[in-house]
Amino acid sequence: MKKVLYIELENCIGCRSCLAGCTQCGGHEQRNRNYVIDVNPFVDRQTMPMMCLHCENPPCARSCPVQAIQVHETGAVLSAMTEKCLGCQNCTIACPYGIPKFDVEQNLMYKCDLCIDRTKDGIPPMCASVCPTNTLQWVTEEELAVKKSQFRLSNGMMASMEDPYLENKTNVHVSLPGILEGKEKLF
Amino acid sequence: MNTKVNQRQPSIERAFVSRFAMHMFFTILIIFILTFVGSRMFTHMDLNLYGYMVGTLVFLIGLFYRFLSWSERPPAKLMIKKGKKLIFRKRTAKTTTNDIALQRFIWNRGLYRWFQHMMMGWGVIISCLVTFPLVFGWMYFTMDDNGFYTVVFMGLNLMKISADGFLAFLFYNSLNITAIMVITGASMAIYRRLKNMQARAEQTVVFDFMPLYMLLFISISGLLLTVSNVFFKGFIQPELSLIHQFSVIVTLIYLPFGKLAHIPMRPLGVYVKNYREYYGNQSMKKCKVCSNEFVSTEQSKDVIDVLNQNAIEFKKEEGFHLAELCLPCRRNYRISKFSGVKTHLTKAKEANQDARG
Repeated sequence: MKKVLYIELENCIGCRSCLAGCTQCGGHEQRNRNYVIDVNPFVDRQTMPMMCLHCENPPCARSCPVQAIQVHETGAVLSAMTEKCLGCQNCTIACPYGIPKFDVEQNLMYKCDLCIDRTKDGIPPMCASVCPTNTLQWVTEEELAVKKSQFRLSNGMMASMEDPYLENKTNVHVSLPGILEGKEKLF
Repeated sequence: MNTKVNQRQPSIERAFVSRFAMHMFFTILIIFILTFVGSRMFTHMDLNLYGYMVGTLVFLIGLFYRFLSWSERPPAKLMIKKGKKLIFRKRTAKTTTNDIALQRFIWNRGLYRWFQHMMMGWGVIISCLVTFPLVFGWMYFTMDDNGFYTVVFMGLNLMKISADGFLAFLFYNSLNITAIMVITGASMAIYRRLKNMQARAEQTVVFDFMPLYMLLFISISGLLLTVSNVFFKGFIQPELSLIHQFSVIVTLIYLPFGKLAHIPMRPLGVYVKNYREYYGNQSMKKCKVCSNEFVSTEQSKDVIDVLNQNAIEFKKEEGFHLAELCLPCRRNYRISKFSGVKTHLTKAKEANQDARG
């Protein structure tokens, strides 16, 4: 059964478990590929996770001169292939969300690959496995549909994947904070 | 569109139906001329190696097909065009030594990986440098005086070596030495792929293991030829020779299409480094939000162009393109879209994002 990563932004408490979990994924060589951002640093402690949203038409792969960034059959946009990446860093410039990281020493780009060694076998990615507040969830498409209908507003807006919140269609689905949707969410 | 370009710019390309045809024609012409000269008007061709010659020509067809179709992609086209212009920079020699010859970036990925790759890489390259000249008659040996070989290279008598000397030993055994290098490297690579979690995560049998098996097969079958000659009086030598030849030809034909395609592709890394250094020195792009310099102005512009050619446009109502923002600002900008708070305009350094593994 196909599952997708779903992000409930307002649940984030800034514990950074997802960062620590990311380093522990088998394929990640002890380096995390996600971010936790302070939303309003000098005012409050609200944080939100930021990670690769795995675009359906990924600009990073489109801008790679050597086709080093491959899209897995599950839809995950993978890290640059080590033997192909020439280190031009086009991908880091092209990504609309500022996600790919670059290792200057190794001359190699690396990014969230949705823990492909886990997710290809239906195991949740590390970040979703360790998130204590259900900010990051690994849900089936049916569960996602339920969430969408739950959060659909009377004006027809689903605060998930449309502009201006995101730039394009993505395989990771984001649910905006309730305050923006004008609705109180109960969990 | 190509026709239009050709009409505007009269060039040799117009004489051919496609760029592919043009490249193939000139490559074969050059090989023909080199062989004519090198083998002293085809008088020193080794017909035992005829199969390799046909294999090489088929390999060239695949190589040009693969690389010309690849070079038409917008980002590749741009990088090749700009890299070509910068190839005569002083730094080219240094970059080539560090990145291609010494493969320092692999050193930084670990000593084990560097050693295995140096063994395989240089084993394969030296083998090619020995084999191709022999196949096309660019290099051969003659014996005028008893006990002394004359090495003939491109039709010129290069040197005279004692048939029992050290240099001669290296000449006779060069392919044995490279075979041992490749076997060492490929075995280490297979072992790493079986054990290392990072490698295991993304590898596939067909893409990652098959090229290693092919290299092993070539090296072992080649080495067996020597073993058969030296220890077993040439036992099943003709059969082994055919098996070896077959494995080399199949690998050559496969080369441009699988993992081994990085061999001819990697030298472009020199273009890329020149491109980044040259345009970085020219002028750096300041982030439209925080004014930090993060990439060369040229590259930012080029990426925007490439994305446009792919019908991707990230021009925002604030008046900037997302490729004009540094990475932290781009992340903060996204958070501002999610939360409604102008995170990217807050002058705060991004918190440490690197967890310790």
